Amino acid sequence: MEDKLDLKNVKQRINHIEEVLSSVAAGDLDVRVDSTVEDDLTGIEEAINILIEDLTYELKQSINMQNDLQEKLKKIQDQQKTIVQQQEDLMELSSPVSKVWDNILILPVIGTLDSQRTQIMMENLLQKIVDTGCTMAILDITGVPTVDTQVANHLLKTVTSARLLGADCIISGISPAIAQTIVHLGIDLSIIRTKATLQDAMIYAMKQNKKSDALITSNLDEIEEREE
Amino acid sequence: MQAFEYDSDWTELGVYPVKTENDIVRVRQMARQYAKNFRMGIVEQTRITTAVSELLRNMYQYANGGEVTINQGYVEEHNALIFTFEDQGPGIENLDLAMSDGYTSGGGMGYGLPGAKRLVDSFEIRTETNTGTLIRLMKWK
Repeated sequence: MEDKLDLKNVKQRINHIEEVLSSVAAGDLDVRVDSTVEDDLTGIEEAINILIEDLTYELKQSINMQNDLQEKLKKIQDQQKTIVQQQEDLMELSSPVSKVWDNILILPVIGTLDSQRTQIMMENLLQKIVDTGCTMAILDITGVPTVDTQVANHLLKTVTSARLLGADCIISGISPAIAQTIVHLGIDLSIIRTKATLQDAMIYAMKQNKKSDALITSNLDEIEEREE
Repeated sequence: MQAFEYDSDWTELGVYPVKTENDIVRVRQMARQYAKNFRMGIVEQTRITTAVSELLRNMYQYANGGEVTINQGYVEEHNALIFTFEDQGPGIENLDLAMSDGYTSGGGMGYGLPGAKRLVDSFEIRTETNTGTLIRLMKWK
């Protein structure tokens, strides 16, 4: 029997091989060629089985790889979402308004002034003016890299509305480059009191404080004198 | 609308879509970076960035966004940084009026277009109602 072809079963066996191969082609990788006898055809049958094994292995690998890639993609998408979220958070960072001295508020503005942020900034400032009764507010724009017409417009509006509440605004921190650019743009900011640095603005505000204090004292003295 | 002519010797540095306010900030920062790489001084950097910012805002506000192309090239015996803004917006109805100081159709200060023109060395604009607007800025080195 060995090394000889069992002619009786050979057609049946070849049919079986054909069946297995077509199953594999259709995607079923669990089938194997069953060989009961050992002869010349057995080598082919075994080779086919090995091929199917290899194919199964490769397929598994590529499925794993695909899953890996999909996982990575999902991770990247998540990261992107976080970045966008953080960007939005940064844009919305409301500017803190703090009282630094008697009668003096400071509002440091950092980053980009879009309409939404300016709205928040303006609301904060106006509310704080009402709450504290301060009559001087310093807007420091050292941290604003670009002042275009929209930013200038926002600043003007903020200053004007603060004035309606009885507070004078000083804008500080305009760099030489930005100053030249504002002039070339043609924007007139002369109605706003500006100082080069926050320090200058602070000194000016404190002097104004003293003046108004002196004024109040002298007025009170006058009133007292009259009453006497 | 007739497109601008491009010199084949120009190097394209980037094409950026403008859809959101974040894009304005991003493209503006790119503009500043390119100006810096171009060895422009801080004043020139600020000027070009501000001009770009004005046009980006117009694009965002009036035309619902658009696209910016940044090129580097040799124009009229100068090394130039070239910004091309293209949008498919409503176009500018009265260009002479839009280019005059203090005129605004959208509640701004009315210094955007004329201001941007004053900040750069070359300013070309083409616009067609209901088709879009094409603006090209150049800044010599």
